[in-house]
Amino acid sequence: MSDAVAHADHHAAAHAHHPAQQHHFDTMPQQKEAAVLGMWVFLLTEILFFGGLFVAYMIYRVWYFDAFAEASRRLSLFWGGLNTAVLIGSSLTMAMAVRGAQTNKRKATVNWLILTMILGTVFLGVKVIEYQDKFANYEVPGPSFNWLAHEQHQAAAGEHAAAPAEGEHRKLSLSPEQLQRTTQIYFSLYFTMTGLHALHMIIGIGLMSVITWMAWKGRFDGEYYTPVEMSGLYWHFVDIVWIFLFPLLYLVERHQ
Amino acid sequence: MSAEHAHAHESHGAGHVSPISLYVTIFLALMVLTAVTVGAAFVNLGQFNFLVAMIIAVFKASLVVWYFMHVKYQSRLTKLTVATGLFFLAILLGLMLVDYGSKGFVPMPPPIDSESVIGGSPDAR
Repeated sequence: MSDAVAHADHHAAAHAHHPAQQHHFDTMPQQKEAAVLGMWVFLLTEILFFGGLFVAYMIYRVWYFDAFAEASRRLSLFWGGLNTAVLIGSSLTMAMAVRGAQTNKRKATVNWLILTMILGTVFLGVKVIEYQDKFANYEVPGPSFNWLAHEQHQAAAGEHAAAPAEGEHRKLSLSPEQLQRTTQIYFSLYFTMTGLHALHMIIGIGLMSVITWMAWKGRFDGEYYTPVEMSGLYWHFVDIVWIFLFPLLYLVERHQ
Repeated sequence: MSAEHAHAHESHGAGHVSPISLYVTIFLALMVLTAVTVGAAFVNLGQFNFLVAMIIAVFKASLVVWYFMHVKYQSRLTKLTVATGLFFLAILLGLMLVDYGSKGFVPMPPPIDSESVIGGSPDAR
């Protein structure tokens, strides 16, 4: 028994193991590579998870292109563009947080993580504004969905405004009744895809608040910062999903 | 044994620290490409609008994966794993669209009419 302890002590002294190194790994880089590989395998399942929705989107988009184009124009390019910039910015701050951990800068790591969480919260706040607008305009799929409510509202406002509504000059291949049905498919996909994306962001912010606390406690150093790097991978993945969602949902056909 | 492993793992740069200038450059490239995407959407390129938007998005995603997610500095095993995921995504997207495309859905039929769907009045035909 005491031999074993003595042996363990000798072993530890000889190799000077990092306290975060688990006994089944030979070296810290090996342990880290295992974590990175495992995280990527998880992200692959996420890619295919969102992939199913992208397939559904593609098929319905080809099928009901005019409805998708019309419904897409109902989204605010301002809010969508702003959110894209905010999320790309948060990817930069996340990369900087990982870099801070790599270079043993505890306070920088914490600050970059907090900034990333703030940007993530800004994104979700903008999403709330956008969703609220959809609810107010009867653009949420379901019994109260009313494609014409928006135009009726515009027409009522247009009595005083000289400029005609943007959509008036376009020739539509779909009747209002057809639009009423088919645009709901677009908005169903819009809410599912952006909703699932937003859920991922909420989880990401949750993860990050734990990581920030760990970073504040000084759990990480240049040799061991795996949790920071893993939440970074997750956050960047969520950013990538949005990089595709933005043109697919907001920019279906804007040139008419 | 453990010394051999340590030596074997020295070569891959799991702990590679990228310069701040690289991160800022990637960030600016992503912002510019976002502006290009929005700009291109307002130009009528016909069917190429979608293609242009997707090419830009794939390029942006590649920048994020390669530099922000450090895949550039990972082992070949990790790179292969990432590629595998893209391969299966391509199968999912590609084969599903080929399947639907080959069923005569391209060009697309008119939207659903209540008479022509199952459950509608069969005597209308």
